[in-house]
Amino acid sequence: MAYQTLFEKYGGFSKVSKMVLSFYDTLLDSDEIGPFFDDIDMSKMVDHQTKFVASLLGGPASYSDKQLYQLHNHLDIRDAHFDELKDVLKDTLSDHGVEPADVETVLQEFEQRRSFIVGQPHVD
Amino acid sequence: MSIEAINEQLLRAIGVGVALLDRGSLNFHFHNDTFEEWFGAQVGVNPLPAVFEGLDVAALNSGLNDGGRYTAEISHKKKRRNMVIAVEFTAASEGEQQLVVLVCQNITRIRELESMIDSYSMMVERNTREIKREKEQVEKLLLNIMPRSVYEEFKAFGVVTPQLYDPISVLMLDFVGFTDMVASTDPSVTVTELNDIYSAFDRIGEQFGCERIKTIGDAYITVAGLPDPMPDHSKAVANTAIRFIRYLERRNKSHPHQWHCRIGLASGAVVGSVVGIQKYVYDIFGPAVNLATRLQEFSEPMQISVQDEVAKNLREDFEIDRLGERDIRGFPAQEVWRLHDSKKITPPPKT
Repeated sequence: MAYQTLFEKYGGFSKVSKMVLSFYDTLLDSDEIGPFFDDIDMSKMVDHQTKFVASLLGGPASYSDKQLYQLHNHLDIRDAHFDELKDVLKDTLSDHGVEPADVETVLQEFEQRRSFIVGQPHVD
Repeated sequence: MSIEAINEQLLRAIGVGVALLDRGSLNFHFHNDTFEEWFGAQVGVNPLPAVFEGLDVAALNSGLNDGGRYTAEISHKKKRRNMVIAVEFTAASEGEQQLVVLVCQNITRIRELESMIDSYSMMVERNTREIKREKEQVEKLLLNIMPRSVYEEFKAFGVVTPQLYDPISVLMLDFVGFTDMVASTDPSVTVTELNDIYSAFDRIGEQFGCERIKTIGDAYITVAGLPDPMPDHSKAVANTAIRFIRYLERRNKSHPHQWHCRIGLASGAVVGSVVGIQKYVYDIFGPAVNLATRLQEFSEPMQISVQDEVAKNLREDFEIDRLGERDIRGFPAQEVWRLHDSKKITPPPKT
């Protein structure tokens, strides 16, 4: 019980919700990643981002690797997209006062899931 | 700057979308900057229905005719973001001209937040259900090692006060040749069978109000009169003991491994308590436990030895034989009796 998740450390849902919204805004405005969300219903998109951020921070959600794969394998996601999202994530967390060491931890967690999200290697 | 100019500046810059429409054609007379920002530069050119897709024009007209007002919520896609706009129409007139004032509030953020709260509360609720399930399992586990009333005390205070139960009856059962059996057959088979047998014993004991206290290897201890006092505690353990043997006899007929037990029954006082801090077990202590163990050693395979005190309570309903006075290690010499299965046994109470 002594172990504290980042989700708890950074103020639980009331704080994390703000990170989620700004993450969501940035993604929608991004011309790199935004198009993936063109036809996605708003509530679905928010739901997805809430769970995404919560699971990365050790909040009350977690995606299994298989789920991640199933959710993404129909999309043409490439390494560049993944990198871009990683940057957005990094900026969002930093902007919301997450300490650099913790940002690094989250990014490493994220990086570990790359193979389940990015499709087969692509030759452009 | 004149008041009119300031008003117009304000109207243009305000964070609410404002437009003025012709009542009949629903063409735009005016729209402010915010309105244009949301709905695009083309907005003034087309009539309203072309801008607000999904707007119920009939409902708008009847609303304006009835009370001069109409409100609705429309969704509008700006770039890839779904905007949710609360719109309010109010009928107005300027001289001869029939107009409609349109005020639009951007409630997208509210809807997004609502979605997020939905999403989050669903996660939390799911987790709560999981925690509840886990808690129930822990509770079930703890109820297996201690009586419910003891568990309730343990839950409320974190400790259990040792409690004296007097009188109660103890049934001690031990298997004959268990050590040899473990050595000669596959131990996992033996243990699986032991588990089956113990489970059956638990069910049998339960029918007569017995509470299993523990098993130590091939020894099985159950008591009657704990935690709730029971007037017929001697009869309860006697009935249970007879059915344990009946069960084993029946089981032996259809199984390759033969299980034979010895049983001892004794009454007296015991103290029940949780022992240990990290690895706690509920256990009972008292002469009745030791005596039942010693008496069990007097039994031939598949027989039940009974303490004199218990025998007195069983005389009316059970068939018992006097074995005579015996020396019992740690106890004064005393009468020991043998309990037999007979047709006189009262049928088990309906559960």
